[in-house]
This record gives sequence, C-alpha cells and structure tokens, in this order.
Amino acid sequence: MRRALTLAAARVALIAFVFVAWEAVTGGFGLRPLVDPIVLGRPSLVFADLYEYARGGLLLTDSVATLEAALAGLVLGMLGGVGLGLAFGYWRTVADVFDPIIAGLNSLPRVAMAPVLILWFGLGIASKIVVSFSLVFFIIFYNTYLGVRSVDAELVKAVRVMGGGRLAVARFVLLPSVFSWIFAALRTSVSFALAGAVVGEFVGSTTGLGYRMVIATGLLQTTRVYAILLLLMIIAVSLIAIAKRVEERLLRWRPGGPLE
Amino acid sequence: MRVEIEALSLRFRNGVEVLRDVDLSVGAGEFVALLGPSGCGKSTLLNAIADLLDPALVETRGAIRLGGDRHELGYVFQRDALLPWRRVRDNVELGLQIRGVAARERRRRADELLALVGLSGFEAYYPHQLSGGMRQRVALARTLAYDPQLTLMDEPFGALDAQNRLILQAELLRIWERTSTTVLFVTHDLAEAILLAQRVVVLSRRPGTVKRVYEIPLPHPRDPFELRGSAEFTRLEGTIWSTLRDEFRDGARQ
Repeated sequence: MRRALTLAAARVALIAFVFVAWEAVTGGFGLRPLVDPIVLGRPSLVFADLYEYARGGLLLTDSVATLEAALAGLVLGMLGGVGLGLAFGYWRTVADVFDPIIAGLNSLPRVAMAPVLILWFGLGIASKIVVSFSLVFFIIFYNTYLGVRSVDAELVKAVRVMGGGRLAVARFVLLPSVFSWIFAALRTSVSFALAGAVVGEFVGSTTGLGYRMVIATGLLQTTRVYAILLLLMIIAVSLIAIAKRVEERLLRWRPGGPLE
Repeated sequence: MRVEIEALSLRFRNGVEVLRDVDLSVGAGEFVALLGPSGCGKSTLLNAIADLLDPALVETRGAIRLGGDRHELGYVFQRDALLPWRRVRDNVELGLQIRGVAARERRRRADELLALVGLSGFEAYYPHQLSGGMRQRVALARTLAYDPQLTLMDEPFGALDAQNRLILQAELLRIWERTSTTVLFVTHDLAEAILLAQRVVVLSRRPGTVKRVYEIPLPHPRDPFELRGSAEFTRLEGTIWSTLRDEFRDGARQ
C-alpha cells in the first residue's frame, strides 16, 4: 500500500516534470524559448487549443468518427481472424496451400496499402474500417491458428474418453483454448485498430482525428497537431487499460493470475 | 466391466513393434496392475483399450472385447489433464456434462466426489492453484463422478512424492472398495502394484507381452500404510522382483 502510493506520487511527479520542462523549453513562464513552439508546441497553448477544439463540438465529432472506424475494424478483424483461423486450423491442407499468400500479405506493410484501400473504398468510413481491419485481422488470425494447433492433445483425449464427440471436444477444449490465445492478443489488437483508423484518415477522409491532424500540419498549426496527438494518447491509454481489464478477467484461470 | 484381450499385437507404422500376442482377461470389479519396465507398451495397451490410438499410425491385430459400453470407461492420466480454465468443481462435472446430466444433479455429484477425495472447500479453485497431489485427486474425482464401469489408470501417482503417493494409494483403495468399477492400473513401481492390485500382470520389455501373472492374496480392505514392510508384502515383493529384475536389467542394456 505504502509502496503503491509512493509509486503513484513518483509517476505524477515525473509527468508533471515533463510538462513543466516542455513548457519552459518552448518559452513558457516568460522565459526565452530554446525551441520555437512552431516546432515543439507549448503545453499551455496545447491545452488551450484542446479546449477551443472541444468547445465547438468538433473534438467530439472527430473522436467519434475515429473511434467508430477503429471499433468496427476491431470487431470485424476479430471475427474474420477467428473465423479463418479456426477454418485453417481445422483444414490443415488448405492452410498449407494458402500459407505463402497469408505470409506474403502479412509481411506487406499494410499501412502502405492505405492509399490503395482509399482508392477502393472511398473517402468515407469504409476505407478506415478496412485499414483498421487489415491490421487487426492478421494478429487475431495467427493467434487463433496457433491456438488451434497448440491445443493440448491430452485434454482432447480426456474429453474423448469421457464419451465426448467432436462437438464436445470443440466446446470444452478447442474453443476455450483458442479464446485464451485471442484474449492474450486483445491489447495489441486495440492499439492496432486505432492506428489503422488514424492512418486511414491521414491518407484520405473528410472527418476524424487523423484528418484534422493532417489539415493542421499542412497549415503549420503545430499546437493543434500536438493537441490531437495528446488526445490520441489519452484515448489509446484508456482503451488499452480497458482491454487489459477484460483480458485479466477472462484469463484469470492462468498460472500467475490473481488468487481469490 | 469385463475386459478380454486376445492375441493382441500392435505395431506403429514406422516399424516399432510395441505389443506382441498379449492375452489378458480381467473380471468385472477386479483390480489388476500392469507392471513392466519403461517403454514396454503398458500405456499403449491402455490407449488401445480406450480406443485412443490413431489407426493411421498404428496397426493392430487380435481382439479387445469389453463387457459393456466403451463410454462407461474412465481414464486417469499420468498428467492430470484437467481443463485449466475450469474451476475444480466444473472439472469434476465435465463427464456428467458430456452425458447431459442436469446442472443441479451435476453439482450435487461433484461436491459428493470432492468430499470423497478430501477436497471440500476447494470447489472454486483453478487447477494451477492446487498442488500436484491435489490436482491428481481432482482428476480421480472427475473420473469417478460419472461412475465408470472400467477405470484405466496410467501411472496416476507417478509424478508425486513418496508420501503423497502412499496417501493417494490408500484413498484409491478405499474408493475402489466402495464402488464396483474394474481397475486396470499401469505402473512401473512394484510396491505400488502389490499394495493396490488383486492380480499383478508382469509385462516383458518391448515388444511387450505377458510374462507372468501373480495373484496377490492380501485381503481387502487393505491399509497400504500397514502392509508396506509386512512379512507377506516383502515375500511377494521378492517373488515378483525375481521376474521383473531381468526385464529391468535387459531394458537398461538396450
């Protein structure tokens, strides 16, 4: 308890220090700026801008647009990844045939595909969902596939001896085993989903945080760029914290999980 | 459940001959130990009885006849094979759940079995929170929960320390004496075989075949703590060891 408090205090102090130093270096507190705020922004200006951004309601609209695309990409990516992962795990021969294609697509820097995807799916939300999906899909697909392949043969035997058929094996061994692999990849998937949506907005869109950032960069509105970066960081940290809670809840049966 | 094994030969398709002309007859309710050196095919024999061998990998000749439904069969593995994501109680309920027993009845039965193996109070634990001995008790409870007519055990206490092993042997005896299940118990521990079984079947080294069968004329109920070190136990140990010794020694030479 004592240690936890000390830790929290130290963390808050560190973050405060970073902001104060940032403010000082960029000409805050009446000091002579070492770095032009055009390059590095300045926290006081950034927060003021964030307030301005929020007041018009634009911040909410943009955030919702980005989060919608990220969430849709996450859900679809997970569904698709699980589906294909299960299918490939089940039909090994098909998996072996498709292996080079999957490996090729996966090794492709998918962010570089974004312009093409915008071309295919337009400036609307669909193309952002697709970019986000393409990032999430492969993580989940590989985890599912590995999950199926690494199912403990001893557990399958145990269920079969008890009179369980294919369905029972799938229900009691295969799926729980696969889900544990998927949930272990949840945090990574969430941050990739967000990254995918923002990159999609960079390349071509009419709304969203990524879009607003590109516009601001073009107009050299550095303060706005930093405001959005800060906002994205807060959103990502929150989402990952939620994913972590979900993960811990669902995987509490694991060794090293919390005792009750 | 009766088990009749007739001239059973078994070889892996990669050429390794595991069992050769095994003949064995086990009566309903009997407790038989299969004793042999490592790699003599004891476990494979159990897997053959449980129909767990992949015919693509294994070639079998001869016959295995069971005096009942293969689904009335229980198997306690060397590793406990508990589902790690299920709590202790849900693990014990698994066989009943597969059989479509209603939730309330499952729970009653699981709690009853957990009490029998001395694990009341641990219903809500996950397997990783238990010691090896406790996990093996859960595995035992899980198997007995659906009342199998034939229980196959593959060195179930092999991974335990000497003290826990003796305790679990005593508990297994106590439970078996109360049920009607037939037990086929694989072990390479001579003392364990004598303490538990009514008959000890000594298998030769690979390819495994029945070398000799010994009756163990110790009356049930037995107390392994008392039996160990008794004159009768020592005499049996000496007799069976004379057969087993050569198999162990030659196995080491291979």
